[in-house]
Amino acid sequence: MAEKKNLLQRLAEGQIWTSIFRGGGVPKSRRQRMMVVLNSVFLHLHPVRLPKHAVKLKFTWCMGGLSFFIFLILTISGILLMFYYRPTIEYAYTDIIDLAEQVPFGIMREIHRWGAHAMVITVWLHMFRVFMTGSYKPPREFNWAIGVVLLLLTLLLSFTGYLLPWDQLAIWAIAVGSNMARATPFLGHEGPGAALLAIGDINFVTVASDVRFALIGGRFLGEATLLRFYVLHCIGLPFVIMIFMAVHFWRIRKDGGISTPV
Amino acid sequence: MEGFKHLIDVLAKPTILVTFTFVIFFFIFPPSDWFDKWHRRLKFDALWGKKSLIIITGLLIAFFVFGLGDPDFRSIVLKPDNVPISGLIFLVFFFTWLSMSQAYKNDELQEAGKPVDEHYDAPNDKVLVWPDLVYVELISLVLCSAFFLLWSIGLAAPLEEPANPSESPNPAKAPWYFLGLQEMLVYFDPWMAGVVLPSLIILGLMAIPYLDNNPEGAGYYSYKNRKLSIAIFMFGWLVLWVLLIVIGTFLRGPNWNFFGPFEYWDSHKVEALTNVNLSEFIYVKWMGTGLPGNILLREIWGIIITLGYFMVLPPLLAKTWLKDMYAKLGVARYSIFIVLIISALTLPIKMYLRWMFNLKYIISIPEYFFNF
Amino acid sequence: MPEATEKKTATIAPSSPPPAALGKADDGSGVTRRSFFSWISIGWLAFVTATGGFFTMMLRFFFPNVLFEPIQTFRAGSPDEYQAGEVDLRWKGKFGVWIVRDDEGIYALSTVCTHLGCTPNWLAAEQKFKCPCHGSGFRKTGINFEGPAPRPLERYRIVLADDGQIIVDKTKKYQQEKGQWGDPEAFLKV
Ligand code: HEM
Ligand code: FES
Repeated sequence: MAEKKNLLQRLAEGQIWTSIFRGGGVPKSRRQRMMVVLNSVFLHLHPVRLPKHAVKLKFTWCMGGLSFFIFLILTISGILLMFYYRPTIEYAYTDIIDLAEQVPFGIMREIHRWGAHAMVITVWLHMFRVFMTGSYKPPREFNWAIGVVLLLLTLLLSFTGYLLPWDQLAIWAIAVGSNMARATPFLGHEGPGAALLAIGDINFVTVASDVRFALIGGRFLGEATLLRFYVLHCIGLPFVIMIFMAVHFWRIRKDGGISTPV
Repeated sequence: MEGFKHLIDVLAKPTILVTFTFVIFFFIFPPSDWFDKWHRRLKFDALWGKKSLIIITGLLIAFFVFGLGDPDFRSIVLKPDNVPISGLIFLVFFFTWLSMSQAYKNDELQEAGKPVDEHYDAPNDKVLVWPDLVYVELISLVLCSAFFLLWSIGLAAPLEEPANPSESPNPAKAPWYFLGLQEMLVYFDPWMAGVVLPSLIILGLMAIPYLDNNPEGAGYYSYKNRKLSIAIFMFGWLVLWVLLIVIGTFLRGPNWNFFGPFEYWDSHKVEALTNVNLSEFIYVKWMGTGLPGNILLREIWGIIITLGYFMVLPPLLAKTWLKDMYAKLGVARYSIFIVLIISALTLPIKMYLRWMFNLKYIISIPEYFFNF
Repeated sequence: MPEATEKKTATIAPSSPPPAALGKADDGSGVTRRSFFSWISIGWLAFVTATGGFFTMMLRFFFPNVLFEPIQTFRAGSPDEYQAGEVDLRWKGKFGVWIVRDDEGIYALSTVCTHLGCTPNWLAAEQKFKCPCHGSGFRKTGINFEGPAPRPLERYRIVLADDGQIIVDKTKKYQQEKGQWGDPEAFLKV
């Protein structure tokens, strides 16, 4: 042993470490640092090198990144909530109370709710930033459109989650929201044009066959509504938003990375 | 003190607040050279200097601190679900300032013939993601987690009484991010406010990159070269989006009446709001004949006005006031653009018609659920 | 551009047979050009039908055949339990109905605001129903007069049972703007 190595260095050159992180050793050279990014499935989301303004906070405000990070927080805290919460009218409300009072570290619901509010805000600000830097201009038009879908999905996720505590705030917000569906042109039973979709006396768009019914699973808010919103909130919409996020991130890379002045 | 609070209450009346915003808005975000001239004469460009950031943030904080001394203000601002919106006010102001100050700086650089701040000399000016970006990300991540932990410990999430389908709370509000929509619901029928306008907002946002064919200002903050598009976007975002949410959150009280920020939420406040349809104006008030039984005859005036607004106005504008824009955009872009814009303008138009004439619907055919 | 056109002609030329060959087997496999196209269209048609059917199935899935919902008809006591000129709130919580009696008779008003479905409050002092959600106001008759509600409150079918009790049937509703309030069962004469 010519040179004495400290524990960290020995670890970093050992078999286990090098089997996980290829390249070995603490990344010091330019080449090693590039390899860190290239060899990691997670870091590979990034390019290897970036224009220098792209890493400055004052350019991106880190808002897209924060939106994604908050989405991860929401996923984790949401899964934890699912261990206790039961989506039935009988239990929903009391389970929410129990989550704060009977469960150790009873702030998971707070993290989830404040996170949801914050994500709406960060997504809005991200959109604002992208507009102000003109980053929607060619070749990024399509990614902007994907972004708008992400914004819509974020709002829908928030909205479906709002019903789950089954308190006064929840059901009246959803009552008003779902009654708008009642007025959808042609597809809602109180929408303009719905009466035209009829043969003689038989109406096809009625209170039991319109978009509102499909949304709330009945003619009134009830058990079926809670279950439908629960499934949408916990599985349906997260699944869809993840697909769109994947496309969004992929397109950032394919559109030439973060936008720069030409 | 009371006098000041009263003054704020009066200024917060939607008629005054919204009118004031409309009048001043395009002098702050000038859409054309003419507005820009006045923008500079009125010294509004100083808004995006460092001094104004400090002064305005200070004033906002002072206002909130002062307001918290008032029980009515406190009860509304400290409601847990409203806390994010107070935050939103500060954040929106800060980020508007941040983007505008960088935009103005870049405008000056360009005017002096220098490269903009974001300019980089590829490939020499590139930095490595590891470590230059990942450590920024790591720090944001840690700070963000700490922030949520503190927020969650400090403020319990709201939970009201168990659901009771027969008793609406008063006021009954949608989640805060939909309060702009709920505000529109006051002036429009649900099929417009709840379905058509939101769809137009989504489609309109998606259409932005395809409508704005100005290649200038991609990838850096700027204002001078993109005046019109930024002014329009700012109007939609700051006024029709954020301001309506703030109004819906803080100024709408019991029975959906308006209340100043320092006013007591009295659920018995009486406001005479007898709304009249256009057909009733014409046949009952002016002609004194009573409403005709035939629906088409009854609503013909409203239908003519609406068709005129949507079908005649766009080509007319293309020939006159918006001639240059029409030439620049071409038929397809121009048509989509103008339809989106005049649809958005129906909101302020209907607001004013309601406030001034108590006008409810221009076309009212409740028989077929068609009201506009 | 010229490159692209060249390519196009180059790829199409060999595979497009002279017009005379139309309808004849050209490669000995028995598949003529015409039959090939009809097979293709049948294939596509089958594909579109299958996909369409599949999506219809998924859509239909959201509309169950049986609903488990509360009973829509109830007995509301005898007519003389209601005072003329009063709005009775006792069925509001359970069934969502106000029973109002005026000089001529009794009618059953729905408590669902015709705007977006909140439950208005009866303000006795002002003699009106006021909706807390967006401020619609309705007179005692159910006629809308302020705020965004586009039409009057709905009335339910109201009849007398053999034993003299009132029966309110929420499955049948009467709308003023359709001129249905005059119908015999929209109103109980007493
Ligand atoms: C769930 C919501 C979203 C997530 C997680 C997300 C994430 C991101 C991230 C991480 C970036 C990299 C740059 C940055 O951080 O600013 C980005 C860029 C971008 N985003 Fe999003 N985004 C979301 C929503 C949106 C929305 C609502 C829009 C616009 C309507 C949008 C349009 C864009 C565009 C055009 C870029 C490229 C910007 C450039 O090249 O400078 N995104 N997004
Ligand atoms: S729901 Fe009654 S006014 Fe909107």
